[in-house]
Amino acid sequence: MPQVPALPVVGSFAQRLLATDLPDLPTAKRNETVGFVAHRIDTLPSFTRFGVLVLGSVFRTLLAVPGGWTAVSVLMKLPLPLVAEYPRLIRSLSFAYVWEHWPSTTPTGAST
Amino acid sequence: MPEPSTSPSPPPVVIERWSPPGTTVITGAAGWLGRALVHRLLADPHRRALRLLAHSTAEAADLRAFIAAERAAGATAVTAVEIVIGDVAKADTAARLLYGLTTDTDVLHTAGVIHPSRVRQFYEVNTNGTRHLAQAAGDAGVRRFVHVSSNSPFGTNPDPADTFRHDEPFHPYLGYGASKMQAEMAVDEAVAAGLDATIVRPPWFYGPFQPPRQTTFFRMVRTGKFPVIGKGDQRRSMVYVDNLVDGVFCAELVPAARGKGYWIADERAYTVDEIVETVGRALTDEGLSVTPPTTRLPTLAARVAEAGDRVLQAVGLYQQQLHVLGEMGHTIAVDISRSTAEIGYVPQVALYEGMRRSIRWCLDQGLEL
Amino acid sequence: MPPDVPVQRATVAMDAEVLVIGSGAGGATTASVLAEAGFDVLVVEEGEWVEQGSVVPFSLEQMDRQYRAGGVTVALGLPSIAYTEGRCAGGGTEVNSGLYWRPPGDVLERWRDQFQIVDFDPADLLAIADEVERDISVCTAPGAYSEPSEVLRRGADKLGWRNGEIPRWMSYPSADDAAGGQRQSMTRTYLPRAMRAGARLAVGCRVDRLVTRHGTAASALTTLADGSKGTITFRHVFVCGGAIQSPALLQRSGIHGHIGRSLAVHPTVKLAARFADSLNVPDDVPVHQVKEFAPHLSFGGSASNPGLVALTLLDQWPTFRNAITQWEQMSVYYAAITSEGLGKVRSVPHMKDPIVTYGLTWRDRALLRSGLARLALLMLEAGALEVYPSFKGAPSVRNRRDVATMQQAFSATKASVMTVHLCSTVPMGELEGRTGADSFGRVHGCTNIFVNDASLLPTAPGVNPQASVMAFAIRNARRFAATGGRRA
Repeated sequence: MPQVPALPVVGSFAQRLLATDLPDLPTAKRNETVGFVAHRIDTLPSFTRFGVLVLGSVFRTLLAVPGGWTAVSVLMKLPLPLVAEYPRLIRSLSFAYVWEHWPSTTPTGAST
Repeated sequence: MPEPSTSPSPPPVVIERWSPPGTTVITGAAGWLGRALVHRLLADPHRRALRLLAHSTAEAADLRAFIAAERAAGATAVTAVEIVIGDVAKADTAARLLYGLTTDTDVLHTAGVIHPSRVRQFYEVNTNGTRHLAQAAGDAGVRRFVHVSSNSPFGTNPDPADTFRHDEPFHPYLGYGASKMQAEMAVDEAVAAGLDATIVRPPWFYGPFQPPRQTTFFRMVRTGKFPVIGKGDQRRSMVYVDNLVDGVFCAELVPAARGKGYWIADERAYTVDEIVETVGRALTDEGLSVTPPTTRLPTLAARVAEAGDRVLQAVGLYQQQLHVLGEMGHTIAVDISRSTAEIGYVPQVALYEGMRRSIRWCLDQGLEL
Repeated sequence: MPPDVPVQRATVAMDAEVLVIGSGAGGATTASVLAEAGFDVLVVEEGEWVEQGSVVPFSLEQMDRQYRAGGVTVALGLPSIAYTEGRCAGGGTEVNSGLYWRPPGDVLERWRDQFQIVDFDPADLLAIADEVERDISVCTAPGAYSEPSEVLRRGADKLGWRNGEIPRWMSYPSADDAAGGQRQSMTRTYLPRAMRAGARLAVGCRVDRLVTRHGTAASALTTLADGSKGTITFRHVFVCGGAIQSPALLQRSGIHGHIGRSLAVHPTVKLAARFADSLNVPDDVPVHQVKEFAPHLSFGGSASNPGLVALTLLDQWPTFRNAITQWEQMSVYYAAITSEGLGKVRSVPHMKDPIVTYGLTWRDRALLRSGLARLALLMLEAGALEVYPSFKGAPSVRNRRDVATMQQAFSATKASVMTVHLCSTVPMGELEGRTGADSFGRVHGCTNIFVNDASLLPTAPGVNPQASVMAFAIRNARRFAATGGRRA
């Protein structure tokens, strides 16, 4: 069964999340990081991957409407067990990648 | 087989001790531990003067009668006994209590409230009372301040097989635990400001001079109605009140104990099943008829009681039965090895013997078990 | 690749007298015992052969190449528990911390008695452990300990808590250089040994299903790395895919019973500690563990490269983030517990991977809380300037008062809980209803299907389980060799 690639589903949200968390991360590094995140989601176990892509589609749809980021930000703050796992997964993968590859990155994402 | 090497701290060969002080001050003197201390001190030829804090005139009168009875029974070593009346929670009481005393003074601070009607009393008496006293004792330059704390600042063990070590992080159990934790912190602050203080931490204690709720405990065991929670494999450290008195004196008289805290309990913890069985045996051997234990409650009952206790305490109320039942579902086990090594505390009376003595004391008082 | 190890790629049609599925601590030992006993053995491995030293230990690249799903696997629950599985020749032994613990004697006796493991003398198993220790050169590290390891020792000593160096399966070419150690993993020990005795190792081969009839399997349906489908025929099969993959494969093959119903793990919570001086070792873990509260609670050190330090700070990023600039002064530590909770591995039709769930009990949560607080206390005693516990809403800890605040704020549901040491999904023994395989690993109700890996351990042993896995696998394989695979 051919897989739906993760990048188009999670890419816009991951970009936005990283731009918010690490505003000073240079665009090239951000793109590289998002690429890594999508690659990892592509290799997730089937069930987890399915769940992540469902959540990813919801977030992507929300982001596509005006004021969508505000709605997404509210959604992320709610104590919803599975929903909260999605931004957490994106963050975990991104942060691990950023600091493993560029250890001198500042807390806002700037290079030193 | 790879086995991590152990790294015990070597025990000091000889534990240096002070002689008893000129004046021994006791707060909460009319209480359970207070009376047990007074009982021992009155008969001690090395002690000279006692100054006792009573909460009210009625309590002072009660204490006078108690001292008279002790003397009549032969405890005549100490003749200089002064009683000061005052509420430990009030800021000026400590200064009055310590007025005119020299630095040849030790303070044994046992005053505290464990089963109040309102949660705020925990903080007024246990925390603020201790803070006032510790500050005043520091100002007065007393030789040693012994603060009687509890297991409650450390909560309960997370597993029935777990035992609290000498040094543990605070995790207070409800209002009482929080108030006693803050009291310990107040003592630590006073020590940082120059007070010489030592903390003793007894878990569940029992023995002569006990209040009526403990009589209820014997009665429940005797009639088989003591509620054993779950499998009854929770472990409890206990201490006979006379052992605790020994521990308080060790903490008072060992110079090296400055700024430290010690568990004062029996050698090992017992399972609740073992406690109920031992008490039953002690009751039988004292000639009382005992019904085998029949009351077993599911662990859930203790959890529900604990949850109820939490809800009540959150709105400032305290219900004793709920509190006791909630806590019965937990293990509270402590390791006294450091107390033995550093202040020379060795428990003398074991559970069975201690229980027999307690039962005899109750019967001598004419109490119905 | 060592010259005497002819690793081959799997092909669409293969055949063997004994098929061993998986090449980790269970599969490699099984293959070597059986090959040396004269059986025609084929080992198939889903992952690739990755030469030691070609990837940085504990790096994302290593996770990509040697872990299942890049190391991003999770047991669902409240909280969900992250776990990792090796997926390469040598399995978990290639990527774990290499710390060696024999199975505790009392645990072995409890397993024997409670799960009715017959013909089992713990002393015999410990004699096998002696052999294993020689074969994989279990030894302590030469020279000075790393500073992150010293932290554990120093903090525990100050508190009077039992601690010590845990030996590892390492060989050290230089007598005073602990960092130059060579991990004696399966690709260095039992796999070459099996192949020297005639076993074949085929990598890039996933087994989708065993074709069984009345409890007897005759072939395995496979998917190769390039996506093509294949078949392997055999007379006997040993399933050694680890505690998640082994029960999942049995379930996909239509074998039920007590399979995948009792996953046991050692849940852990973490913190990062910051010190005055640089101490971070990005590519190795501390060799000390604190066993004062064992078996129910243990402390140790985790891999701490800057990416992993960032991960530890992640749950409280807004308040902890500034610490990341000082990652060189930081190291990550864990508190691990024995759990009374229960996990399940369930295969779902048409899904390639199983669904894994795990539920912590009330007691597990209390133990994780207490463990994290005690670990924080140890860090303060070891001289930490600040401690960053890994849970949402965590305060940073600089003194004992903060430890109390932290312990009050903790809830397992808000914590980053993770685990290694997955086991017990096909428990061995004769106890009906609670075992999935017999006392020697033969799956109940089957004639020629064996499990021989961490799945067999009846419960989590409370220590690193690899030694137990290897010793049991050797014991069971020898029994098989002695009886020719016939039922005793």
